[in-house]
Amino acid sequence: MLQNTYLVKLMKISEPVRQFGGLIILTIIVIFSFAILNNIFGEGEELIAKMKKEEERIAETRKQNELISSLPSGILVFYDGTDHYKLSPDQYEKVCKATKIIPQRAIMGANFLNFRAHHIYTINGNKIDETFVKWNKENNKCFAGFTVSGNNVGVDEKITVSGEVLNFLSTGIDTRVYFIKNF
Amino acid sequence: MELLKKYPKLFQWLFLLVAFFTLCFAIDVPETYKFIRGQAEFIKDPNQSTYTLFGAEVRYYAFDVFWRLPPLLGWLPIWINDSLFFLMNDWMPIEFWNEDTQEFKTQPLVLQITRNLTSFITFLIELIREILLGGVETIVAFTSWDWISENSWAKLPGLPWTIVAAGAAILGYKLSGKGLALFAAIVMIYISIFGQWKPSMQTLSFILVAAPLSFIFGLGLGIAAFKSKRVEKALYPILLVMQTMPQYAVLVPAIVLFGVGDHAGVIITMVVAVPPMILLTLLGLRGVSPEVIEAGRMSGCNNLQLMFKVLIPTARRDILIGVNQVIMVCFSMAVISAFIGAKGLGFNLLLALNQLNIGLALEAGLCISLIAILLDKLSLAWANKQIDYFGNLTFFQRYKNIIFFSGAILIGIIFAYAGSFYFKEGFNYLYEIPHNKGISTADFWNKGVDWIWDTFFQTLKIFNTWLIVDVLQPMRAAYLRMPIVATFVLVMGAGYIIGGIRSAIVVGGLTLFIALSPWWDRALVTTYMATFGVILSCVIGFTVGTLCFQNKHSTNFMLGVCDIFQTFPSFVYLIPVMMLFGVTDTSVLIAVVVYATIPATRYTIEGLRSVPPSLHDAASMSGVTKIQRLLKIEFPLALPHMMLGLNQTIVFALFMVIIGAFIGTEDLGQYILKAISDKKGAGIGLTLGLCVAFIGLVFDHLIRTWVGQRKKHLGID
Repeated sequence: MLQNTYLVKLMKISEPVRQFGGLIILTIIVIFSFAILNNIFGEGEELIAKMKKEEERIAETRKQNELISSLPSGILVFYDGTDHYKLSPDQYEKVCKATKIIPQRAIMGANFLNFRAHHIYTINGNKIDETFVKWNKENNKCFAGFTVSGNNVGVDEKITVSGEVLNFLSTGIDTRVYFIKNF
Repeated sequence: MELLKKYPKLFQWLFLLVAFFTLCFAIDVPETYKFIRGQAEFIKDPNQSTYTLFGAEVRYYAFDVFWRLPPLLGWLPIWINDSLFFLMNDWMPIEFWNEDTQEFKTQPLVLQITRNLTSFITFLIELIREILLGGVETIVAFTSWDWISENSWAKLPGLPWTIVAAGAAILGYKLSGKGLALFAAIVMIYISIFGQWKPSMQTLSFILVAAPLSFIFGLGLGIAAFKSKRVEKALYPILLVMQTMPQYAVLVPAIVLFGVGDHAGVIITMVVAVPPMILLTLLGLRGVSPEVIEAGRMSGCNNLQLMFKVLIPTARRDILIGVNQVIMVCFSMAVISAFIGAKGLGFNLLLALNQLNIGLALEAGLCISLIAILLDKLSLAWANKQIDYFGNLTFFQRYKNIIFFSGAILIGIIFAYAGSFYFKEGFNYLYEIPHNKGISTADFWNKGVDWIWDTFFQTLKIFNTWLIVDVLQPMRAAYLRMPIVATFVLVMGAGYIIGGIRSAIVVGGLTLFIALSPWWDRALVTTYMATFGVILSCVIGFTVGTLCFQNKHSTNFMLGVCDIFQTFPSFVYLIPVMMLFGVTDTSVLIAVVVYATIPATRYTIEGLRSVPPSLHDAASMSGVTKIQRLLKIEFPLALPHMMLGLNQTIVFALFMVIIGAFIGTEDLGQYILKAISDKKGAGIGLTLGLCVAFIGLVFDHLIRTWVGQRKKHLGID
């Protein structure tokens, strides 16, 4: 009965008003649908935080790239007594933080003094698990290392070799660890 | 409330605009939003969100959904690619007999079908090409290369250009008289002496295969749709989408299915050319009056006889207009097919544009346009020619054209033979003028371009900078600034106001497809460019159309100009604008404006023409001035027709914006262009094509609905 009354009232509303009402309802439905979708798919704040972090990282990399391009190509050291380019303490820290690559030459050099690491490295097809270059704040020194792992006569082994970076190699595009002092 | 009842639509639009702008200002641009980063741009970034559907992993930057929707249809291109790969390589392997190796070989069915289709079409193209230019491929198809090397005489000689020119002139004379004959002869001679004979004949052979095949398929499907409602209903959505689908987009799946070359070009041309043929066949057959059908039945026709002896001959004119449309589409596709390796003028044009050699591009473009105009005139003359069923003609009168053509063949052969003795440098100019031996105006045009740049550099630069900085960039930014929820409110609201809830759902659905694709931002850029073009085109077209309509001669002149401009393949429009504005967005937009002004002008004139003269008289008798008559009577009555012009203008503008990607834009067209050179581009190309088609369909639906209602309201339906 109540429904009928409303229906009759609704039918009595003139066409323009009904159309206008329809438009308002449609607008509300569209906005409401988006609100529901936002609850399901929206990532809002979390994403902004992630992206900001990413942008900071990109800005940092850009700065480091600027530094690298200002350095001469060749071997870079931070001590006296060689003809190579000598890094200032500030440059030394920045180059350390910018360096990501440890080439095979440096790994072979470090392995030379670690028989077990060298053995696992050789029998597992010269495979390296991971590498790292870190700035040690306490000592104000740059440390680099790598991990080798594999099966050594039926035993699974994992060895991390690390040491102080004695010098870097600048290619003009990037910088690489040139020698790891692991003794 | 009274005001609301008095101006209901005005209030609805006002409310809609208020709601739209409120949403635009209420929703901020997310801090992390960058246009180029947009949605899934197929780069890996740890900040992207991912989902996997139907085995496809989609990466995207998740925003607030009020701002941008996640690309939930991102899997579609990948899925299309995988499906095509599966169809071509794995589905239904069947053993087929291989003629070359003389053994059975297992091949997937679709691959085998496409390969057979490819060889059939390649054979047809080669056959016609060798009739026109000479060659051995056709003979080889029936014999072998060994046989050809043993019998060096066995090759198709090719027709001398004089015979083709004479044939075109005779055909022109038969269909329309001396004027067309003269035009046909001039076009053919021009092509020949300007050294464009070979590429022109390559293009012509392409069209002579694509056009008849499109005609046969279009006619067949049109008849089927006429006979069966189910077929019509099944075809309707495809026809609708194909009308607004950019031709570029269908190239990419064609590469996957048919490879590259002339054959793929022909097949894709058929895909594009068949829909208008179906529509015009259907229109023609529907237009046959019931009395004619009844007369046919009373004469004892069976269904087949009724169709081929009564219905088709009665609908002849519409069907032949369909042929005209097919030829025009074939010409525009002749250039676009060059992207997938079709030879001919289109390829030369593309090459010249790539090298920024405007002179060469202009020469090739002019040849394409001239041949297009010639074939357009010939096919229209054919459509308008009345068959004289009762003429009592003598043998000579009946067959004089064939006799003249036989004579032309004989004289042409004698000339070519004599030429072989006269021209002893290795080039027989009476047989074929080689590409590099003809007259070339390329240098002249190139110097012209240099002169324009030297003389007007500053002016052009100022205009260019002003347009880009003060007009285009703010407009682009405004479009990209639209939150998706506001866009939906605007589009669906407009649909509701114009056509009720049904229209709102249709346009909402089409927009949703684009919004859920990974290219919403690009779609907005496409829309902004098209909108800019449409606004300017409409202002120019409506003004020029209205002014020209004031005089009978200027009306006919302007319609003639529109006719000619409409026959130019769309790529040709890029040449002059590149001459003036170089490779910039301005060039694309000016090409869009020029191209899209044609329908705006034409439909304005046609609309004003459609106002019954009795109303003019009635108005004059009521004492209205010319301006009052125009504003109060002619415009309101012509408006539905003019709006159909607007519809066409939008479609033309969209097509040109997509083609403009060739000279560097950042819209959907650019991605379609990229997809052509991408091994896995078929899915992307097709999805992007659908996005463009849906943009067109949204406007198409809104305008057509409005026009229908308006016509009903004015009682001119």
